[in-house]
Amino acid sequence: MTKIVSIHSFRGGTGKSNTAANIAMLLAAEGRRVAVVDTDIQSPGIHALFSLEQETMRCFLNDYLWGSCRIEEAAADVTPNGDITGQVWLVPSSIKPGDIARVMQQGYDVGLLNDGCRALIKELSLDVLILDTHPGLNEETLLSIAISNALAIVLRPDRQDYEGTRVTVSVARKLRVPRMVLVVNKTPAAFDADHVKERVEKTYDCEVAAVLPHSDELMVLSSEGIFALVHPEHALTGLYRHIAARLIA
Amino acid sequence: MLVVDDDDFNRMLLCKRVEQEGHRTATADNGREALEMLDDGSFDVVLLDVLMPELDGYETLERIEKDETLRHIPVIMISSLDEAESVIRCIELGAEDYLPKPFDPVLLRARLNASLTKKRLHDLELEYIEQVGHVVEAAAAVEAGTFDPATLDEVARRNDALGQLARVFGRMAEEVRAREQRLREEVHQLRIEIDEAHAERQVAELTETDYFRDLERKVDELRLRPETDS
Repeated sequence: MTKIVSIHSFRGGTGKSNTAANIAMLLAAEGRRVAVVDTDIQSPGIHALFSLEQETMRCFLNDYLWGSCRIEEAAADVTPNGDITGQVWLVPSSIKPGDIARVMQQGYDVGLLNDGCRALIKELSLDVLILDTHPGLNEETLLSIAISNALAIVLRPDRQDYEGTRVTVSVARKLRVPRMVLVVNKTPAAFDADHVKERVEKTYDCEVAAVLPHSDELMVLSSEGIFALVHPEHALTGLYRHIAARLIA
Repeated sequence: MLVVDDDDFNRMLLCKRVEQEGHRTATADNGREALEMLDDGSFDVVLLDVLMPELDGYETLERIEKDETLRHIPVIMISSLDEAESVIRCIELGAEDYLPKPFDPVLLRARLNASLTKKRLHDLELEYIEQVGHVVEAAAAVEAGTFDPATLDEVARRNDALGQLARVFGRMAEEVRAREQRLREEVHQLRIEIDEAHAERQVAELTETDYFRDLERKVDELRLRPETDS
């Protein structure tokens, strides 16, 4: 059964795209056919993690939403060489300033996003479709949550995230998301992960799939690769694997 | 000072002269006994006779120079053999200096002092290297989270750059430790404070729109269709 998974956060800079990319790659490593759609049209970025050069792409998600192409034409196969037995595609959003400005000024029919996801699942015979959403709660992200079978809300242990996460959790419950987990990211090393998990779970009455520590290796890697591929045995990769398992369970 | 001579009179005379210079002495009758004493004790200079039974001065000197733990001790050869050939052989074997018998007390004093200065410099260098090692070990301990500030106390008492490094390092390590301790304490007091009324207003603003109500109404249909399509 195909699963649609949204990776969301109320605030930017929480590590949402990194989480989405790592989960996608780990699910593909287990033999699944996975696609990631960068629905963060206003500030796209996940393509960099997959080392996808936008110059090589003829179509983007933007083109599909404006009716210029079919969504599968905007899907790039980003499966790395090596031990990945499944397959990974990425539907990137355009980083051209004109395209971003057009989205900001004219918007688009968000209903097309739902149609596009279904088409993509069918055309690529996907096992998992991951939506890397725009932070906050606008019509696109509400739709993403509404069509998802599972939702991961990424937050930092930071007071700026707490209230927004509360709002997101409440909204997601109203949309009856079948599975919802929290991912506490960029946690300082001095923090006790078990304690953070317990406090956050109690506050939101929601499962915390993982407390990810701040990682120097991840910072060094920056946006030039997918952590789980570079450090397959790292403890952080193990935590990403656990999040993936919880989302598709 | 270790005085090594098989002749009782010479040994006694030499000890007396050395002690008159303010040094403490120990004695050995031959090379073998001298090596045993060197292994057991700590000496600053060895005064070594050349011709001795059992193990002569040449071989004793050779063994001292081959031993990593002894070779830094200056050896002054003392013998009635004042031929140039013997002097050259001893210097080549590693002797610090050479004094012919009967020895000149002034020359003995000068050479003892020169040898002691060299030995002390060497000891200071060894101590410096050892204390640099303490700082390196302290850095590894900080990484491992096992740093004990007391391990740097001795180095920190130095009045040179190494001492300053140890003091600065110790201070910084303590600051890092204190900061981490504060963070650990803070997490135990982790308060996730949420203005629930404000959050509820935001939820209401979002969910009381026509768009959201429509989405809420259609959500089961929206969610099921991808699964049935796949």
